[in-house]
Amino acid sequence: MWRVALALVLIAPLAGACKKKSMRPGEGGAGAAGLGEEGLGGSSLERSKRGLGPEEGGILGDVHFAYDSYELDGSARDVLARNVDWLRQNSRAKVELEGHCDSRGTIEYNLALGAKRAKSVKDYLSSQGIAGERVSTISYGKELPLCQEESEPCWARNRRVHSVVLGQ
Amino acid sequence: MKTLAMLLMVGLCLGRVRAANAVVTGAIFGPGSESFPIAVVPLKNVGGDADGSLGTRFARVLSRDLDLSGYFRLLDPKTFIEDPQTSGTTAADIDFVGWATLGAQALVKGTINAAGDTVTVEVRLFDVPGRHDVPAASRRFTGSRADLGRMANKTADGILEFLTGERGPFDSAIAFVSTRGGRLKEVYRFTFDMDDPVKLSDERSLVVTPRWRNDNRAVLFTSYREHIPRLFQLDLATRQVTRLVGGPGQVLDGAWSPDGSKLLVTRDEGGNSDIYLLDSGGQMIRRLTDHWAIDVSPVWAPDGQRLAFCSARTGSPQIYIMNIDGSGLTRVSHTGSYNTSPAWSPKGDRLAYATRASGGFQIVVGGVDGSGEQTITSMGSNENPSWAPDGRYLVFSSTRAGQHHLFLSDREGKSQKQLTRGSADDTSPAWSRRLE
Repeated sequence: MWRVALALVLIAPLAGACKKKSMRPGEGGAGAAGLGEEGLGGSSLERSKRGLGPEEGGILGDVHFAYDSYELDGSARDVLARNVDWLRQNSRAKVELEGHCDSRGTIEYNLALGAKRAKSVKDYLSSQGIAGERVSTISYGKELPLCQEESEPCWARNRRVHSVVLGQ
Repeated sequence: MKTLAMLLMVGLCLGRVRAANAVVTGAIFGPGSESFPIAVVPLKNVGGDADGSLGTRFARVLSRDLDLSGYFRLLDPKTFIEDPQTSGTTAADIDFVGWATLGAQALVKGTINAAGDTVTVEVRLFDVPGRHDVPAASRRFTGSRADLGRMANKTADGILEFLTGERGPFDSAIAFVSTRGGRLKEVYRFTFDMDDPVKLSDERSLVVTPRWRNDNRAVLFTSYREHIPRLFQLDLATRQVTRLVGGPGQVLDGAWSPDGSKLLVTRDEGGNSDIYLLDSGGQMIRRLTDHWAIDVSPVWAPDGQRLAFCSARTGSPQIYIMNIDGSGLTRVSHTGSYNTSPAWSPKGDRLAYATRASGGFQIVVGGVDGSGEQTITSMGSNENPSWAPDGRYLVFSSTRAGQHHLFLSDREGKSQKQLTRGSADDTSPAWSRRLE
């Protein structure tokens, strides 16, 4: 029992430390399950293949959207301003923008909507001088949700663009 | 007392009434009324089925089909008075008075002979009040043991054809996406003679939106196997997977034309999805939409001359139809703020789609011009309708029993039955054409 608690205590500062020194994505990788260790980074699909859930946030913050919308609101721009700072400081880093949607849309429509969300973020990064070749986009629609509950807090978490740092 | 002959007349009359005036459908005798009591007896062994397992399996598949059709009330085999293995299977030897006492209006009996892998089935429909067999709904099949379930499905289709004037849809298959194999989605095939769906794809990635090729011999789907979503085709005989569409951008979904010569696809380039007409080699014939808003989910009209799709060009997702040359854009859906996933009925006269209502989705069926729209579901969230080959039934995914499962409904929503079960999510069903 206390081993689990110890693992939890250990992981928190560790994860923080990793974030600070801009850890290479996937480094935490293989994931010894008994320790409660979790890999950081990696695309939502790759993480799902490994049995990990999609990652929320990470080196770069998630950008959230209103229902059936791909417009960037004030809080989205606040997150993106910090992401732009990091991308400027880590000028060799490339990033993939994953568009995600909540469950309240149909499968194909949400694939298209997720693509629009990723494009909105890419356009914003471009407007802030982040070169287009550093930024790729992909849509996962509603296929890889962070949470499954049918409630507004869960839907809101799932309506997002998640940024995966590909290399620095 | 109603006889089968009378019911046949009712069925035929309804057929005529339906064509002229859709209001009366099913009121007297239609899916959902469950008005018609029928007894399905295990086949009598005349060789090679000593334990009765084949004869019993045939009866089980046939009974399930008839139950799913919504037209029948299946009598409980435990109440049957005749022993299937010793009683007769021709009109002269059947205790019609006894069956009438049990409440049966119709009766299905027959024989099975298995020799090596070859199975011969003779099955007859009997009119209990009329005390005679019905040759038009009686069949003789010869095939392999593996074909036994299909023989039962074909028997059900023939009985429905005799009683309703419209051949049944059960000798067919439904492709869908499921998490039943693990955490990732794969394509599965449901058939009405199997207890468990069969896994078709082995993408080990994310898979969405399977659709049948017109000849039922291949399934196309969108897979993330090459990182970004693209359209692939799985040949069911060779198990080979080939990419159908090259070029830049994500391909979100696609559909083969009814004659198999062309494809409709949704391609997303730089965050803008539009619909394209491609030849069978994936080369562009025509860009059909060019709009900054989302255009997605193209489906063919059965005549191959028109398509239906979903577009958000007016600010909310709505259903549109268009000619395949790009002309004649017409909005179909006018109520509701979110209408997607159109499906064009095989007879060409109706569209089904999903509409957002009270937090979830419901299935709407109406005319191609948007007339006579009817919401046919109310429980849970219901998505991705696909028409049966007879145009009488639809399959869709529903959360009404917890997880997403496949449900079958007649097109008026009177009879709704659960097709798949279990703790996995079954979504995106696509009903094939009739098997050959």
